[in-house]
Amino acid sequence: MATVLTAAVWAALLLVPAVVRNAYFLNGMILVFIYGTAAQAWNLLGGYGGQLSFGHAVFFGIGAYASTLLLAQAGLSPWIGMWAGAAVAAGVSLLIGYPTFRLRRHYFALATLALAEIVRIVFLNWPLVGAAVGMYLPVRLMNQSWAMIWNTKGPYYLLALALFALACALVRLTDRARLGVYLRTIDEDEDAAQALGIPGRRYKLLAMGLSAALTALAGTLFAQYVLYIDPSTVLDPSRSVLFAIMALLGGRGTVVGPALGAGFLTLLSQYGGGTLGGLGRGYDYVLYGLAIMLVAVYEPRGLVGLVERLRRSRGAPAAGLGPSPVASPATDPRPGGERRPLLVVERLSKRFGGLEALRGVALDVRRGEIVGVLGPNGAGKSTLFDCVTGFLRPSEGAVRLAGEGGERSLTGRPPFWIAQQGLSRTFQLIRVFPGLTVLENMLAGQEHRGEPLLQAFRPSPPEVYARALELLRLVGLEAARDLRAGALSYGQQKLLALAMALVRRPRLVLLDEPMAGVNPTVVERLRQHIRAQHAEGVAFLIIEHNIEVLMELAERLYFLAEGRVVAEGPPEAIQRNEEVLGLYYGR
Amino acid sequence: MELLLTASVDGLVMGLVYALVSLGLGLIWGVMDVINFAHAEYMMLAMYATYFAGRWLHLDPLGALPVVVALAFGAGVATYVVLIRRIAGAPAVTQIFATFGLLFFLRYLAFAVFGPNFRGISWPLASGAIVLAGVPVSAAKAIAGAAAVVTFAVLHVFLQYTKAGKALQATAQSPTAALALGIEVERMYALAWGLSIATAAVGGVFLLPFYQVSPTVGDAFLLITFASVVLGGFGSLWGPLVGGVAIGLIEGVAGTMLAPTFKLLFVFAVFLLVLFIRPVGILGGQQT
Repeated sequence: MATVLTAAVWAALLLVPAVVRNAYFLNGMILVFIYGTAAQAWNLLGGYGGQLSFGHAVFFGIGAYASTLLLAQAGLSPWIGMWAGAAVAAGVSLLIGYPTFRLRRHYFALATLALAEIVRIVFLNWPLVGAAVGMYLPVRLMNQSWAMIWNTKGPYYLLALALFALACALVRLTDRARLGVYLRTIDEDEDAAQALGIPGRRYKLLAMGLSAALTALAGTLFAQYVLYIDPSTVLDPSRSVLFAIMALLGGRGTVVGPALGAGFLTLLSQYGGGTLGGLGRGYDYVLYGLAIMLVAVYEPRGLVGLVERLRRSRGAPAAGLGPSPVASPATDPRPGGERRPLLVVERLSKRFGGLEALRGVALDVRRGEIVGVLGPNGAGKSTLFDCVTGFLRPSEGAVRLAGEGGERSLTGRPPFWIAQQGLSRTFQLIRVFPGLTVLENMLAGQEHRGEPLLQAFRPSPPEVYARALELLRLVGLEAARDLRAGALSYGQQKLLALAMALVRRPRLVLLDEPMAGVNPTVVERLRQHIRAQHAEGVAFLIIEHNIEVLMELAERLYFLAEGRVVAEGPPEAIQRNEEVLGLYYGR
Repeated sequence: MELLLTASVDGLVMGLVYALVSLGLGLIWGVMDVINFAHAEYMMLAMYATYFAGRWLHLDPLGALPVVVALAFGAGVATYVVLIRRIAGAPAVTQIFATFGLLFFLRYLAFAVFGPNFRGISWPLASGAIVLAGVPVSAAKAIAGAAAVVTFAVLHVFLQYTKAGKALQATAQSPTAALALGIEVERMYALAWGLSIATAAVGGVFLLPFYQVSPTVGDAFLLITFASVVLGGFGSLWGPLVGGVAIGLIEGVAGTMLAPTFKLLFVFAVFLLVLFIRPVGILGGQQT
């Protein structure tokens, strides 16, 4: 149904110039397609990746200037020049993205503002590009197709439509493929994405480069259409805002949203321009600003969100989440066998200013072993996990993980890299991606080691789907697969977080207080899942305050206090250790 | 050498004004972890308020100060109540958008109401020059620098020695703990917004005698103040001060060697450099 409708819309758009001769209307539609392309490009980065650019006019301008300059100075056809512009724009975007993507997103947003100002000032003073006067396209080449200049609207209409279709197709591809899932995890919680092995900056750069290139293509077409460019048209800061607000108003992070937003805003200013324009130039921007605030406060998902809300109020499908039986493994939870070390932590220290959170901690986990970490609050347990998984850089000491090719040092490596070595973790405060569906959360957890960049444009392979569904069945969340993870209960989110950590079959799983804050039923189920995975050879390192659970699950315990390992040994020995009892119970 | 000294003193004074406007941006950032993209727009509005106070009420900047600052405090509280309170718990994307929408709204409202023209005032009291470190500095700039120092001192005393100031600091460190201790967190946030916009307005009032106002004056100031906070580091009053003065000095010294057209370009380039090289600031501070 939806596909038939979409096909009908595209077919109708294609037939418009054959039927409609009204130049004013065609002009409006050409601008819808050009701006819509830029809005989709913005959406790729800002909508999916959550990296807000307020400087996309730069890429639009680069596209316009590059092809125009090549045509005017070198006689090079814009059909080729547009790709040169796209390449330059992508290069500039990576120059900005690379250093700022490691920072919080505010920095990126402001860096794009600064870039926009710099580029505008440079172009205003650069004689080669006509400085403030701007550049005319060579009109003597009128109606020569190689020069992409015509005196009728028809060719422009079709060309703009084709570019817009390309943009929509690219966004749709992203939406359906892994890239969409990865970008959305990065938007919602980049640390949690890294903990699953997703190299955040890499995908942000990919989205940024594509976004800039696509915007530049739109810029070239704009220049070819209006035949005159200057800094105040193609590099104007309000143009950057226009692209952003089209995507935002329509619904960022969706395929149709930015298209709707572009159509709505462009045609509004085309046909509503009479009323608004009469009030002076500033007023439509005042309304844009007001619209942005209203959308942010009342419906951050934009027009698409509004439609969804209307549709939902007409009868919400409530999914039943009956607890499903869990297959309990009958095997001995503590198999013997091969016990070579898997994780080795040596003399690990971490200082925060004057506070020594960890003081020379030594610890190891052997293959297929369940090891517990116990200790009073503030003992340094979570700091230990953060140092092992790369979220904190240890002040001293070493962390090594055994792998197929021998031992590898994890010290000082980024979290995603460590996760790719076969080490999974969960967080003390659960970090699932609330806006993604349960199944998408699981897909984000697929193996990322050696995943080629272009694979991101393909959906996850069937094996990953099968594995994800199998794990969901195991934890009893199969019926919830298409619900947003944020709609799950606390206990269900904990189960989901555990399942996500298991998708890529890690060799070692670090669990930070998996049992905290959940009811006894869920505790029991979590315990069974840990045992079942253990039976399959997965090793666990578990921080837990529920001593009963640790006593039953763990083969060895470490007792941490004030950043040191106070005691180590089998649970029974720890339980009898006087020092431990004193520290833990104040006896 | 003398040129360099002149440029340094000039840059220092300008840096103090940058610091003054950055103060409120850093305050909100520290207390609520919200970055107000519209911060410099309030400074722009305060400049217009000072301008019209002079034209209609015949008040000089000193006379206009109490009125403008009081209005600005009210505007800050209103901004919190009407907009910010509703997006306080929202994702970062929503917050950035909301305050960016506010920036756009205020800037183009000013554009629609006041037009694109540059407007300035002449202030007889500050028309001469005074000598600082053997270098003549325009009196208007010196007064602005002094106002910045006084504002910092007042705010320091407020935060360290009054009950409300300590409550504000407690709220910044942990809203939950503050709430548990009986501090009305929402009132603290409103207070922080009031103070933030009021200090930006002090900057606007004293900037006007030597810096003409137009609707887009906030453009450069947004990036400069943001860079000041980032460069100085978070967590204390002194971060924006150090950062603002540093940027003023860099701009002053480099500005004398560059064509005036490229002075702004240089400021933006410095901003990017700060982001690329030292995003945690001179005074350190937390990294996220």
